Amino acid sequence: MKTFITMISIFILFQPNLFAQETKDQCYNCHSALGDKVSTGFQNDIHFQKGISCAACHGGNSRSDDMSVSMSKSSGFKGIPKGNQKSESCIVCHSNSDMMSKYGSKLVTNQNELLSRSVHGKSSIKSNENIIQCIDCHSVHGILPKTHRRSSVNPINIPKTCSKCHGSAVFMRLYNPSLPVDQNEKYLTSQHGILNKRGDSKVAECASCHGSHDILSASDVRSKVHPVNLPHTCSKCHSDAKYMKGYKIPTNQFERFAKSVHGKALLEKKDASAPACNSCHGNHGAIPPGIESISKVCGSCHALNAELFSVSPHKKIFDEQKIPECESCHGNHYIETATNKLLGVSSEAVCSKCHTENKNVKGYKVARTMRYLIDSLDSASKYADSLINSAEQRGMEVSDAKFKLRDANQAKLEAKTMVHSFDEEKFKEVVEGKGLAVTNFVIVEGKAAFDNYFFRRYGLVIFILIITFLSIVLYLYIKKLDKKYLKT
Amino acid sequence: MKNFWNKIYDWFNSRLDLQDVVGFIGKKYVPVHRHSVWYYFGGVSLFLFIIQVITGILLLFYYKGSSDLAFESIQFIMSKVEFGWLIRSIHSWAANLFILAAFIHMFSVYFSRAYRKPREITWLTGMLMFFLALAFGFSGYLLPWNELAFFATKVGTDIMTAIPFIGTPIMEFMRGGEDVTGATLSRLFGFHVALFPGIFTVLLAVHLILVQRQGMSVPIDMENIPADEKKTMPFFPNFLLRDLLLWLLVLNVLAILAVFFPAHLGEKADMFAPSPEGIKPEWYFLFMFQTLKYIPAQVLFIDGEILGILLFGAAGLLWTLVPFWDRRSAKGQSSRFVTYLGLFAVIFIIVFTIVGWLA
Repeated sequence: MKTFITMISIFILFQPNLFAQETKDQCYNCHSALGDKVSTGFQNDIHFQKGISCAACHGGNSRSDDMSVSMSKSSGFKGIPKGNQKSESCIVCHSNSDMMSKYGSKLVTNQNELLSRSVHGKSSIKSNENIIQCIDCHSVHGILPKTHRRSSVNPINIPKTCSKCHGSAVFMRLYNPSLPVDQNEKYLTSQHGILNKRGDSKVAECASCHGSHDILSASDVRSKVHPVNLPHTCSKCHSDAKYMKGYKIPTNQFERFAKSVHGKALLEKKDASAPACNSCHGNHGAIPPGIESISKVCGSCHALNAELFSVSPHKKIFDEQKIPECESCHGNHYIETATNKLLGVSSEAVCSKCHTENKNVKGYKVARTMRYLIDSLDSASKYADSLINSAEQRGMEVSDAKFKLRDANQAKLEAKTMVHSFDEEKFKEVVEGKGLAVTNFVIVEGKAAFDNYFFRRYGLVIFILIITFLSIVLYLYIKKLDKKYLKT
Repeated sequence: MKNFWNKIYDWFNSRLDLQDVVGFIGKKYVPVHRHSVWYYFGGVSLFLFIIQVITGILLLFYYKGSSDLAFESIQFIMSKVEFGWLIRSIHSWAANLFILAAFIHMFSVYFSRAYRKPREITWLTGMLMFFLALAFGFSGYLLPWNELAFFATKVGTDIMTAIPFIGTPIMEFMRGGEDVTGATLSRLFGFHVALFPGIFTVLLAVHLILVQRQGMSVPIDMENIPADEKKTMPFFPNFLLRDLLLWLLVLNVLAILAVFFPAHLGEKADMFAPSPEGIKPEWYFLFMFQTLKYIPAQVLFIDGEILGILLFGAAGLLWTLVPFWDRRSAKGQSSRFVTYLGLFAVIFIIVFTIVGWLA
């Protein structure tokens, strides 16, 4: 008997939750007494802290310590939720604002609504459940408030949480095989990722840009990371001087970008092919492009310009003096439309930053000639255009010449590209050989149309005079005939 | 010189017995009264038709009736062919003036009851030519294969489907398929330059022969004037020269219109482009088009569009058959009902054309 009492005492003594808090939740009491790991984890769960019983999700009667009662079907015991039941258990409370306020929570109650409309709310390959359930991100039995450093949805942990699926090629192949799975690796190389890893919860992580429950595909125009919306998403932090305090970077990028040729195309014309922030900075691996890589970044779209520049005399000098290539003339966020005024030797021309009458004189002369040539082409094409338009307004058929004039506009564009060769001869070949040759042809056609127009007018006057003369003669003859007839 | 012409006349006369025709023309007189001016519109219509034939043949030298080349060929005519622009502009303006002159001629004949016995066949051939003139306009409108023509033809042929039972087959026959395509262009081109001119020429010949044989009709109220108060003028040369004088004036107007308001070509038809806003038919179809817009979608149990088409069809038939139901005019009496009906038609056409134009 003594031995039996000793054994019982030892058994009781070694129960892991012996000193655990005794609650009214009989599920927890029994499971923790049995050393169930799940219930051990649940001890720290926000729901447990709020006094929510296991039965809230699993069903059953948590007040009874009799298994046949507490885990009976008649008392609503569901066991381990399967498929969408997992999220449905959460929704019961998290969609009910009264219930949430009862437990002192200020959380919004539309998470499920947002999730069901999101890219994650679609049916999974099992078709009877959604791609992800609440617990996939928030974990289970150990759910902590978002602000808790160990929470799976705390900003510090989010990249890891997301990459559980998004870093798995096997998993992603099931839903979006074309989506890369190296976002987290790239993120860790980005300025955001570096700081995040150091424990800075203010820097952007996945949810900062993609959203949380409301994540949409980047190609969806409603998505926060759709090109048209991306600058606004980035600017939420990067334009907030108070938020960015401490990072020592400017906060006017969005303001400047919005005024730029790229910003106008993207934000005003909603041209999704125009560059957004990520086009130059990268997205998951976002970091400012360095001096050495800036022409590669711009050159990914402006390929011809970059190619011409790379073989131009400027390339070597820029590299030696560590001058950022495209940015030196065009700026960065506030890039204006490249008009003729950028070229030449006037005070507003970018060439004059380095080339003056006394300094770097060769380049000064080339810039001056190039400007003269492009201005000549501009004025010739404007004249040809107005000539053709006014001939057309006068009813002349000038569609051939009008069509030809497109070649002049094409030559202007080509010339603007050819500027990047900084080669006077090549530039002249485009402006004179293509542009001015076409405009001169169109001007000749336009003048011929005008000559023809006046010829028609003069011809008409002569024709009317002849017909009127004939009519008068005929009229007089008829009168004479009438008189003769009346006499008879 | 006179001897020379006499010799030529004798040469032909000995072979063709022209003395009967010359004798007939020499004895032909045209009544002169306060409504005589309306007689000239038949001649003006004829003159404009001749211009259409001549300019049409000239255009045919360069025009290519396929959807790939039609637009470009007109562009070529307008810009590269000597006076091509003038020929096309005159063809376009003469078409409009021809229909206008035909309208005036038809109404003048109607109000003066010139259709009454024995001129029923003349009226019928005239009406058929009038309908053919509209068909000429409709078929010719598509030929430049520009955007406006394409969509106007689409709308115009779509309306046909409202006719019960036969509407859709007619539409498909006109289009050469379910949609307006290159097949429609080839088909309407064939109608415009071969079928319609052939029928028109026969009708015109019958019409002119009848006019010459039966002479000009005198309005009913002029018939009772005493014989000694009736005025006439010789058809040849007095009336014919007056016709010629008017033709010269019309030619002047035509030249001014063609030079100052040349026919435009617009954009080439694109079958996949959305239809431009405010598509309207040519002015002579506008009153019907506008009326169809005002008819409610459903009138009792009939579809509004079907009702409109049926009403216009019935009105056209009633108008064409006027010599057969206007019994009073056949007896030499003027019917007020016929006059009011004609006035209603004139006012209706003018008002709805203007409303359609401004809409």
